[in-house]
Amino acid sequence: MADTAATAGAGSSGTRSGSKQSTNPADNYHLARRRTLQVVVSSLLTEAGFESAEKASVETLTEMLQSYISEIGRSAKSYCEHTARTQPTLSDIVVTLVEMGFNVDTLPAYAKRSQRMVITAPPVTNQPVTPKALTAGQNRPHPPHIPSHFPEFPDPHTYIKTPTYREPVSDYQVLREKAASQRRDVERALTRFMAKTGKTQSLFKDDVSTFPLIAARPFTIPYLTALLPSELEMQQMEETDSSEQDEQTDTENLSLHISTDDSGAEKENASVLQQNPALSGSRNGEENIIDNPYLRPVKKPKIRRKKRTCLCCTPQTKIK
Amino acid sequence: MPPTDLEPARMNRKKGDKGFESPRPYKLTHQVVCINNINFQRKSVVGFVELTIFPTVANLNRIKLNSKQCRIYRVRINDLEAAFIYNDPTLEVCHNESKQRNLNYFSNAYAAAVSAVDPDAGNGELCIKVPSELWKHVDELKVLKIHINFSLDQPKGGLHFVVPNVEGSMAERGAHVFSCGYQNSTRFWFPCVDSYSELCTWKLEFTVDAAMVAVSNGDLVETVYTHDMRKKTFHYMLTIPTAASNISLAIGPFEILVDPYMHEVTHFCLPQLLPLLKHTTSYLHEVFEFYEEILTCRYPYSCFKTVFIDEAYVEVAAYASMSIFSTNLLHSAMIIDETPLTRRCLAQSLAQQFFGCFISRMSWSDEWVLKGISGYIYGLWMKKTFGVNEYRHWIKEELDKIVAYELKTGGVLLHPIFGGGKEKDKYVYYPEVFNKLLSLASTASSQKFQSHMWSQMLVSTYGFLKSISNVSGKDIQPLIKQWVDQSGVVKFYGSFAFNRKRNVLELEIKQDYTSPGTQKYVGPLKVTVQELDGSFNHTLQIEENSLKHDIPCHSKSRRNKKKKIPLMNGEEVDMDLSAMDADSPLLWIRIDPDMSVLRKVEFEQADFMWQYQLRYERDVVAQQESILALEKFPTPASRLALTDILEQEQCFYRVRMSACFCLAKIANSMVSTWTGPPAMKSLFTRMFCCKTCPNIVKTNNFMSFQSYFLQKTMPVAMALLRDVHNLCPKEVLTFILDLIKYNDNRKNKFSDNYYRAEMIDALANSVTPAVSVNNEVRTLDNLNPDVRLILEEITRFLNMEKLLPSYRHTITVSCLRAIRVLQKNGHVPSDPALFKSYAEYGHFVDIRIAALEAVVDYTKVDRSYEELQWLLNMIQNDPVPYVRHKILNMLTKNPPFTKNMESPLCNEALVDQLWKLMNSGTSHDWRLRCGAVDLYFTLFGLSRPSCLPLPELGLVLNLKEKKAVLNPTIIPEVIAGSQEATMNPSSHAQLVGFQNPFSSSQDEEEIDMDTVHDSQAFISHHLNMLERPSTPGLSKYRPASSRPTIIPQHPSGCDGTPSTKPQWNMEFSRKGTGREQSPLEMSMHPAAATPLSVFTKESTSSKHSDHHHHHHHEHKKKKKKHKHKHKHKHKHDSKEKDKEPFTFSSPASGRSIHSPSLSD
Repeated sequence: MADTAATAGAGSSGTRSGSKQSTNPADNYHLARRRTLQVVVSSLLTEAGFESAEKASVETLTEMLQSYISEIGRSAKSYCEHTARTQPTLSDIVVTLVEMGFNVDTLPAYAKRSQRMVITAPPVTNQPVTPKALTAGQNRPHPPHIPSHFPEFPDPHTYIKTPTYREPVSDYQVLREKAASQRRDVERALTRFMAKTGKTQSLFKDDVSTFPLIAARPFTIPYLTALLPSELEMQQMEETDSSEQDEQTDTENLSLHISTDDSGAEKENASVLQQNPALSGSRNGEENIIDNPYLRPVKKPKIRRKKRTCLCCTPQTKIK
Repeated sequence: MPPTDLEPARMNRKKGDKGFESPRPYKLTHQVVCINNINFQRKSVVGFVELTIFPTVANLNRIKLNSKQCRIYRVRINDLEAAFIYNDPTLEVCHNESKQRNLNYFSNAYAAAVSAVDPDAGNGELCIKVPSELWKHVDELKVLKIHINFSLDQPKGGLHFVVPNVEGSMAERGAHVFSCGYQNSTRFWFPCVDSYSELCTWKLEFTVDAAMVAVSNGDLVETVYTHDMRKKTFHYMLTIPTAASNISLAIGPFEILVDPYMHEVTHFCLPQLLPLLKHTTSYLHEVFEFYEEILTCRYPYSCFKTVFIDEAYVEVAAYASMSIFSTNLLHSAMIIDETPLTRRCLAQSLAQQFFGCFISRMSWSDEWVLKGISGYIYGLWMKKTFGVNEYRHWIKEELDKIVAYELKTGGVLLHPIFGGGKEKDKYVYYPEVFNKLLSLASTASSQKFQSHMWSQMLVSTYGFLKSISNVSGKDIQPLIKQWVDQSGVVKFYGSFAFNRKRNVLELEIKQDYTSPGTQKYVGPLKVTVQELDGSFNHTLQIEENSLKHDIPCHSKSRRNKKKKIPLMNGEEVDMDLSAMDADSPLLWIRIDPDMSVLRKVEFEQADFMWQYQLRYERDVVAQQESILALEKFPTPASRLALTDILEQEQCFYRVRMSACFCLAKIANSMVSTWTGPPAMKSLFTRMFCCKTCPNIVKTNNFMSFQSYFLQKTMPVAMALLRDVHNLCPKEVLTFILDLIKYNDNRKNKFSDNYYRAEMIDALANSVTPAVSVNNEVRTLDNLNPDVRLILEEITRFLNMEKLLPSYRHTITVSCLRAIRVLQKNGHVPSDPALFKSYAEYGHFVDIRIAALEAVVDYTKVDRSYEELQWLLNMIQNDPVPYVRHKILNMLTKNPPFTKNMESPLCNEALVDQLWKLMNSGTSHDWRLRCGAVDLYFTLFGLSRPSCLPLPELGLVLNLKEKKAVLNPTIIPEVIAGSQEATMNPSSHAQLVGFQNPFSSSQDEEEIDMDTVHDSQAFISHHLNMLERPSTPGLSKYRPASSRPTIIPQHPSGCDGTPSTKPQWNMEFSRKGTGREQSPLEMSMHPAAATPLSVFTKESTSSKHSDHHHHHHHEHKKKKKKHKHKHKHKHKHDSKEKDKEPFTFSSPASGRSIHSPSLSD
């Protein structure tokens, strides 16, 4: 069938728009389409030599055909979107069909079969129009650098700014007041929520809700929470560091940027060098001059050296 | 002397009469410590030690070593099995059957027990018999190698395991172990000679999990995998002779940081803390440089290691070439307040590397020299780093503390010789005189480094003084005589009058030298007089009967011309002189401005003089003194002077901070006449609030630390303001609440956690007692609206801490304190449940301590037996030694009841419980035991607790105790009692002072005899089981040296003049910065108080061992009779000894020279 592609295209666009709108004209549209499909099914049945068919079986077949076509449409759409287009091309359809296990090569032959029936074109039904209520202003045409197959601009109200003429609050006092009360509200709401959802302690025996205290919970490693700055503080610190720079020592800043997690001896070594290239360089021209016993590699046990371990022991001594 | 010309024996002998004489009949030269298995799950350790010793006497048959807790499997000497006896009398001081409950009895028994194992007396818990096959070998004074296999299971002291209860391997869990303890506690984790005076070289080996690191003393020679590659062995060599007490260990999955400036310095911290470690230690190299420069000598060890561990025993512990710190000292760049404190700790530990670790001491009496020198160079560092103001402030602080302590509890004597010691052997330690001494001595000390004679690595008081005179040529004998012969401080009362006719200042200086802890001062005293024409120093000679001193004035008469007034530092200032007395040219007078005398000065001068002093004197100490004095002058002029100081930005911030509190006090005194807004409010507004909207504080910017500290402090002081109804003015409360509300730290480079914590403190300060209508129950409905607001803030802060915790949980700590304040003032029902939950193990230690403090307070206020039991239970079972120590400490500071108080809590069960705690429950931790004794003393005093029923008739002595005035036990009690009323309850000076029983009563001795005898006899019994005659010089009378073992914080001594009046002598070793340094930590020092009888008993016990043995086991009931016999003998002995001149300077030098075999 030559119009499969077109049908599929229409079907896909139909399902898309159909799924979005369920107004009355849309219903009509769907009914008409279904009627056409029924005609197609019936003619195919006739082609196959059926005299008559039960309504239920025609319905079933229609359903099957519809879902088949829908699937072609959906899949073709995916393929075309995958290549950053909005309109499916023939190749999208072909790939889709191949993907669905359909032998595309048989299609021309099938289209030219002798006993095929030609059905009348479906009655033209009105495409469901997007409701007027939502359009505001005219859609802007694509500027020249945007290819035409790209989607249209959305309705202007979604991106056009509407200047308001009320004076924004810039009074320092009000701003501070607002910031303070906002933060306080957030904190209170948050802590209250935490208190409601967890265990609490109370200062008053008769009342547990007015001053709910989140219950004290012991940590397995208490010093970590106590000593490490919270993420918020870290963030804040970075911000202030970049914004205002003063004569705070370099090492301090450096220490902040080095990741907290695993830093073995080697990494340490590197960062140390980095930190202080001038000093280490001046002392000794060589690159790896830090001779700290804790950075040295661990030796292999000695007794094995007699036979095999020689191999792994000697290079170490060389390194040293 | 026998021919002991072998090298080790001679090694310790210096020329002259004050050389070091080992109390042991052998010299230790080398020790191997090998720990080949550490099990974190079971908390156990298996290993061996090998000691290389050279006998110094021919017939050495027993070798005594120190060892506690360890299970010893096998001892071999030169590969021959050796028999050994392990006996630790300190495990249970008084034996079970004893019903004695008085502290005198305990202290005597304890002193005996401790001296029985004291290494400085040549004793030890472990007594090894030299196999007979080796006798000949020994007689030739040939080397012996003692190999001891031992294990340690769930140690309660010495080694501390931290094993977090989470998933994963031990390394992933951050499990670690470290050595800890007060002073010489090495014996808790391996057998050794646990003395500071026995030096040797070391080889240390530790086999640990491959993911862990073992950090120990000396150089890491190599790290080798075990055969299964799952573990590795760290080999350390310490070639510098070091005392066992300076050996340490830390094992854990540490992150390693090589110091970028000094590659031989390595820092270790627990996982995840590396960024903090980098920041914290980034400063250390400067301290190194400073010390090396000031001492003009290099750091003695080839490497230095810092280890930061959790659940630290003390914040800083210095050992040879490594220091162990609390992990809580680590901080990021955002933290202001902790930074100087941590740097101080680092500097302090480094100073102790030089003096304390590298240079060790001969005896306990010499401890002060090392503590002092390290404290002094640390002070120099402080001066350089934080400035002269901070330094002087620190000196003043230390001085005040010492003065307060001594006046409370009696004099501090640092270099005591017990029993018949010559006067010149006694030295008082105090930092200010010390400054002088040390500046002279620093050159001397540096010479010591070059010498490698081991004995020269031991410093003694005598040697120290000698090097001072060698180097400087100055005779400091008068100085020492003044401070050394007497303990105590000087109390000056000064007043003056101006004689206009003669143009002379008549200064009257009185001294109080009769109250406890004071002494009479004779010598020069500097007085600075600020006159109109300038500042003049006068040196007065304080003599016996001269009270009045005439000081001629330079300024002729009144200020005729308007002229600038020159100050001491050369500056010339304009002053408004209208407040002055028209007839006198005197602006202010200061006595001993340099704090070169250990003194307390109470000086009378007019209020305007104090005000001038505050405004114009440039010395911060003078400013602080005047602030203190102005509290007594609540006048508008004082107010103005204080406000001016507050505003003056050049002024030292600590002075401005104390001005805040003074201003609050003055404002409260002036409440009826006060005009204008509450004190400091407008000032604060001007300094820290927005120009346009004065009720809103600026967004935080703590770049200027001075104003940061002021900003923190002012609200706290303001909250102390009270109106006419004695309530905090509503205006002030609103002001503080607004500060909290508008606090905005988003643009700040630093954390505001301390600031916020202080705001909560301010809220707590504003709380006043609730108006209670006939004891109604506190409910929410009758909550005061102001308190409601406060509570709202506290709730929010405390809850936010759970979500966004602050550094060291400072805010939680402040919240808990504030809640307790609300409870105490009756706004909130008093309930310890909240605090108890925060006190649990697993919370950050600062939180726990704050919570426990609240529980302790609750226990006192509500007299709750249940809570007291809960606390006592925690003292016994808490996993963290520091917390256990702190609870005892806090209970002592804030006791639920005291000796002379009726309390339902005071009952027999409690007495038994506490008795058990100090008798046997705390044998694994010196500090804890002394803490328990402190508490017992505070609660029950020295004698038998009054709540106990009358003792059974069978016990004659107890009966006596209740009998009459003449009774010996009561005599000291009366004296003690009179002191106690006003004194620090924990002063164990009384204990110390409790004198030689011979002097007070013969009968008294018998009280002690039971247990003393028990432990002594036990030892002698065992000694007798060894066939050979006892080694001479082992069981000699060794007085003060027994101290190390019992002194947790501050070694104390006693002078042994026999008299019924207690001497209030107590050693006091300063702890440098000592955030912990409360005088309450002073601990009792029973050994020093040990009556002679104890020692003589001991000394004779070997001679008369058969008799004793017999006596003890068979004639127990007839003891009394026998004892009398003995006593005379003992007395005779001791008298004889007293007559004998001391040949050696330190007690550690011992009396072995008089032992029979040696003198033969």
